[in-house]
Amino acid sequence: MLEAKNLHKSFGSHHVLKGVSLEVKPGEIQVLIGLNGSGKTTLQRILTGILEPDEGKVSIGGKDVTSSLPEDRLLGYVPQNTGLFRHLTVRDNILYSLKNGRGSEESFREAVELLDLESYLDWRPTQLSGGYKSRVALARALASSPRAMLLDEPISEVDRAKKEYVLPLFRQILLQLHIPVLYITHDPWEAGEIGTSYSIMRNGVVEGIASPEEAFSVIRQQARDSGE
Amino acid sequence: MRKVSTWEVLFVPLFFLLILYPILAILGNITLEGMVRTFNDPIFWDAVKNTLVTAFFAALLSVLMALGFAYFYIFHPGTIIYRIADFMNDLPIALPHTVAGLALLLAFGRNMFGFAGPTGLAFTLLAVVLAMFFVSYPLAARTIASSAEEIDREMISVARTLGDSPPQAYRRVVIPLLGEAIFSGFVLGFSRSISEFAAVIMFGGNVPGMTQVLASYVFTKVEEGEVSMAVTASAFCILISLLLVLFLRLEGKLHARSEKSA
Repeated sequence: MLEAKNLHKSFGSHHVLKGVSLEVKPGEIQVLIGLNGSGKTTLQRILTGILEPDEGKVSIGGKDVTSSLPEDRLLGYVPQNTGLFRHLTVRDNILYSLKNGRGSEESFREAVELLDLESYLDWRPTQLSGGYKSRVALARALASSPRAMLLDEPISEVDRAKKEYVLPLFRQILLQLHIPVLYITHDPWEAGEIGTSYSIMRNGVVEGIASPEEAFSVIRQQARDSGE
Repeated sequence: MRKVSTWEVLFVPLFFLLILYPILAILGNITLEGMVRTFNDPIFWDAVKNTLVTAFFAALLSVLMALGFAYFYIFHPGTIIYRIADFMNDLPIALPHTVAGLALLLAFGRNMFGFAGPTGLAFTLLAVVLAMFFVSYPLAARTIASSAEEIDREMISVARTLGDSPPQAYRRVVIPLLGEAIFSGFVLGFSRSISEFAAVIMFGGNVPGMTQVLASYVFTKVEEGEVSMAVTASAFCILISLLLVLFLRLEGKLHARSEKSA
């Protein structure tokens, strides 16, 4: 289980997270639809351990990790721009965690096979298309044998046509892992393609929603309110 | 016909008069007799050797310290240590280098480091290295930190989630990506070290064959009235500086080309 309970975070007088709670079960892909300025980046940084919350608790696999360092959380993380190490080959990117005793040759081979990356192992990230970059980023996280996954707009650099192919592939692989997956996006269509459950983040709080369509109406309402 | 702007009218003659003409004045005053006497002077070659060796170690130390500064910049930017280090980076640029030399003399001379020798660390080759380092480190630190600023922080975050501690992420991700900046920082530090005179002479002294460097050799020859030898040594310095500048330019172009092809 990936769990956040009553998270608060302020920067000076700006209260960014105002009691965020969420719960993601193993085998669930919960999509968090974050509206602009809703605090989703702050939440992502707290979940990965880059930031500490002012108040509240984060636990992964039943273990309280609120004060744990990012390297001790066993959380697979795929950021928005993939964060691939451009000085390393695809192979060395995916094998990165093995030097830290995370994952194994077997988890490496499995990730490469699942994401069909065999022919690209000696390529550099700069030679890859957006779709393949996000595949490598996912493979790198998977090869580290994480207890939970956090994907923050992992295919934002991929065009819509390719997303229609990549999203079902990612969904199938993530479900196969049977670990909690939190997938952050601002696109309700993308949410519908990959998620098994949905929540929306606005004004520093997270609310559960039944479907991505609900997010559409919230976004439309917000756009009307802000006069966009 | 193209209209010539006031900037062009001002810049071109002043550039020739104030920058190129003094350099040409050195080159134009080289004499065969001066060259023969200088190149046969073993003290000159000692000064060349001292300059290159001490500048190399000063640049190396500058790069190592600059990497330490960049580490603080990336992982601990809010700390008081980083803020002091960041502020102090600009100080040697604004400080008269005689003052820097005196500061080093008081800090590492016989008053505080008397146990190390009759003059402390002063008037040794190590003192020359420290004086050069004092003025070249800020350049290396600025070069490397500004390159570190461009590194995508998400890469570091990902490295952390893959099990790296901050020092490991720095070694495995940041330092390899700083390769070009490290090289530039080294060459800039080396160039700055070669050109340093005031701090070196105050702290390292000007002992021929011992701590004399090219800059102080030129000064000594002018004082002794050996202008032709001072001119030859100066032309030698200009040659080294031009080679360093060409080296930097070439490296910059090669890097730009490799970035483009990637």
